[in-house]
Amino acid sequence: MSTVAGIIRALNSGVKHLAVKRFTLRYPEQKLKFVGDGFQFDPQTGVGIAGQKGRHILFHDKCTGCQLCAIACEGIAEAIAMVKVNNTWKHNKKAIMPQIDYGKCVFCGLCVDACPFYALYMTNDYELSSFTKEALIYTPSQLAVKPKVAQDVEIKIDDRGATHG
Amino acid sequence: MITQLPPGMQLERVDERIMTLNVGPQHPGSGHMRLIIKVDGDYIVSCDPDPGYVHRGEEKMAEYRNYIQNIPHLERPVIHDSCNILYPYCLAVEELLGIEVPERAKYIRVIASELNRCVYTLYWLSIYGIFLGHSTMFMWPMGDRELLIDLLEALSGARVTHAYFVPGGVRNDTPSNFEERCLRQVNYFEKRLKEYEDIFYQNPVLKQRTEGTGILSRMDAIRLGTTGSVLRSAGVDFDIRKKEPYDVYENLDFQSQVLKEGDSYARSRVPYLDMLESCRIIKDALKKMPKSGSVRTKLKPNPKGGNDEAYRRVESGRGALGMYVVSDNKIEPYRVKISVGSFRNMICMPYLLKGEKLGNMPAVYWSLNYWPVEADR
Amino acid sequence: MSTIAPEFRLSRFVASLMNLILWILVLFTLIGLPLVFIVLFYIELPEINGELLTPYLALTWIADPSRTLPIIKSLLQTDFFRIAAFPGFGFAALLAAATIYIERKFLAKMQLRVGPLYCGKVEGILQLMSDGLKLISKEIIIPAKADKPIFWAAPLLFVGTAAALVSLIPVAPGWVVADVDVGLLAVFAVIGFFPIITVLSSWASNSKFPFIGGIRALHQMISFEIPLILSLLGIVILTGTLNLTEIVESQQHYWWIIFMPIGAIVFFITLLAELERIPFDLPEAESEIVAGWLTEFSGMMYGLVQLGSYVKLYAFAALFTILFLGGWSGPMVWPPFPQEIITEGITMGPITMKIPGLPLLDQEMLNATLWFVIKTVGVIMVILLPRGVFPRIRIDLLLHTGWYKLIGLAFVNIFIALALLYAGVLGPGGLIQ
Repeated sequence: MSTVAGIIRALNSGVKHLAVKRFTLRYPEQKLKFVGDGFQFDPQTGVGIAGQKGRHILFHDKCTGCQLCAIACEGIAEAIAMVKVNNTWKHNKKAIMPQIDYGKCVFCGLCVDACPFYALYMTNDYELSSFTKEALIYTPSQLAVKPKVAQDVEIKIDDRGATHG
Repeated sequence: MITQLPPGMQLERVDERIMTLNVGPQHPGSGHMRLIIKVDGDYIVSCDPDPGYVHRGEEKMAEYRNYIQNIPHLERPVIHDSCNILYPYCLAVEELLGIEVPERAKYIRVIASELNRCVYTLYWLSIYGIFLGHSTMFMWPMGDRELLIDLLEALSGARVTHAYFVPGGVRNDTPSNFEERCLRQVNYFEKRLKEYEDIFYQNPVLKQRTEGTGILSRMDAIRLGTTGSVLRSAGVDFDIRKKEPYDVYENLDFQSQVLKEGDSYARSRVPYLDMLESCRIIKDALKKMPKSGSVRTKLKPNPKGGNDEAYRRVESGRGALGMYVVSDNKIEPYRVKISVGSFRNMICMPYLLKGEKLGNMPAVYWSLNYWPVEADR
Repeated sequence: MSTIAPEFRLSRFVASLMNLILWILVLFTLIGLPLVFIVLFYIELPEINGELLTPYLALTWIADPSRTLPIIKSLLQTDFFRIAAFPGFGFAALLAAATIYIERKFLAKMQLRVGPLYCGKVEGILQLMSDGLKLISKEIIIPAKADKPIFWAAPLLFVGTAAALVSLIPVAPGWVVADVDVGLLAVFAVIGFFPIITVLSSWASNSKFPFIGGIRALHQMISFEIPLILSLLGIVILTGTLNLTEIVESQQHYWWIIFMPIGAIVFFITLLAELERIPFDLPEAESEIVAGWLTEFSGMMYGLVQLGSYVKLYAFAALFTILFLGGWSGPMVWPPFPQEIITEGITMGPITMKIPGLPLLDQEMLNATLWFVIKTVGVIMVILLPRGVFPRIRIDLLLHTGWYKLIGLAFVNIFIALALLYAGVLGPGGLIQ
């Protein structure tokens, strides 16, 4: 008898869920919202600011070419190399800036932790795929571009279930 | 007359009744490891696990990276439970370098660790469902996992491989409306967990399939050296969070879940009960967390440990995860030894599967909570 | 994707066109024409207004469109239409295709996700077509030491047997492909053929996993055939006939499920086992033996096996409807044809032309079909439900259920039927007619 009761309860649970809302995120048409601007690090307090670890953004008016980000990445993924740039600034006389290879980057954010000049942050941009491996190497000028990230939906919970809406 | 065999090859007696099955790495019923099973009709005569397909040399590679660069490296064995595998490393390095962790960081660590435990257990439960042929139990935990991964993404910035814990605390503070979002989603998650009772745990077909199979007695569990949920489902009350509490577990109010039967059903139920406890722990920790405070102690640049060694262990989703760190006055550790729950529980596979029916093989094998990547490191 | 296309030259194009035309003419004269003559020699041509419907007569509709209606009506009465289109294979295949789509969406809704979504503008309706095209485009790989004739023939046999089962099922009064007096016995005979096909195809595949799957399928199907037959004996006792049309007609006032619920439940469970659906899908247990007896089928052979499987699903669901739920009986909801059609005829556009005569199908038949389809779809939904709710059962529990519990319940059902008969409640000469 308990098996029959168990069977009926299982079927009942299955039928009940026909009325619960679907949870799927329809990805290319809907994209998730993020709180905040991306992962940042404050070298004075030594604590980061919570955010999504996406593509990096390099502020050219703050980067001094000290190579600390490249040194931090050497043991992890070796994704940052320093390259020569065309202009020189007062704060960057050596005229070198980091170039990040997203084919190797693991998005751990330790390079952001290493930068003492508030020059390297991470943004919300995660759609970085390309057709060739060379296109994944982002030069310093490409890194300086602020990303446009579409943000539509987040998880909403109501009494008929959770949904991405 | 036995001719000389080349070294490394073995001569095996081929029997008429016994068929050798390769439940191999390319099989929908195994993880990334191989089980060489010899079957006589429907009964398994012997089972020989063959791990090592995903061995990378994690421990050796850890000797070439300094203490902070080891953080993204050492979390790779279990990518979705990454906080729990970094936890003993951070605790051991803190002991080596003599660092104090602030209170708020301890609470955040506990919350992240419990969330990760639920994320891993849901993944394991969904694969358990699909091994038994229950496609709904494959989809529901994967969907509910999204609720928790969303929280972890807000907290640490990445969905898996968070790289969130550092020796000295955590890398960043919680985002602005984290507490109420966490509370809301964890409450809904608890409601969803209760739905699993009817459709999975009280399902008569499931109970017929898993009850009484692969029974591990209490003495055998202790003798074989099992750990984690396998141990607790055999009747031994040993949860590291209770017996050797670390961080703030002694302030939090929870029970360790123990079941007595020791069969596959109990082994599949203990992680589920653990998840319900995790929800309680998270809610409790959110209440007791200090509202403000620093979350990281600043380290000196390029920290060096003295000629010292430290061993700490933590209860992860699979069992006791221990890290033994030896340093010799350099910025890289001299040796990092990872002692993993999955590898310890692997001894149960040949022991339990001998004499079982072939139909019970997925139920028993996956209920041992074995994660191949972690076992191979 | 760098294909090197040859350059276009007009002379080569014209040459290939001529080649094509030559081959078409050769094949048509050497093979096509004799085939047409042989076919015309053997099939019986229907009659309209006393004349034989030859192809020449059929083509005269181009000249005079008012002849279309009688031509179509006469074609509807032929045997070929019955076998291929309406109560036969075309109808079954259409319902089978709809079932696959509904199953995916239904299961997805129960699992809180969306099923097929992107193929076709509305919620993925064309998904099935794209799956079919994909299967056609794949290479059919035959294992090295497989038994080739049987391996090739197995999916065709499977679809053929499923179609044979479909041919015995009456959809509306008078619309059966094969009106056999021992219809139910023929159903049992056809059902008994399925395990043979399964074992043949698994043995011919010459591989370990199909071997295990085939043995399991054999055990499962054979052990559930006996409860299947026994559970239907109650109905045969009470109606006194094996003819499926007469069984439906005997349910005009009440349905058999009211008096024999145990028989219905036993039949439902054995139906799930014969169809290899969850919880009884051991022969195709994915996580243990890859795909069971169909592991080695690839490409369109797999497509044929799936088609056969779902046509079998339709056939069994229709059988359940006929035997227990009253077949096509139901209140008349189809609106009667307006009087003008009978007197003045149908207008066929775009150039409105009035053609006198009755419409193609009459109101009763359409109503019967409607109710039949509604009930069968209902039964199919109930068959689809356990797929999302139960895990797979193990072989020894399966055999235990099949041989002990279900046969016991089937015998209880037979005793109830006998009791009702001898108490004079039901059956010929009973209280309730």
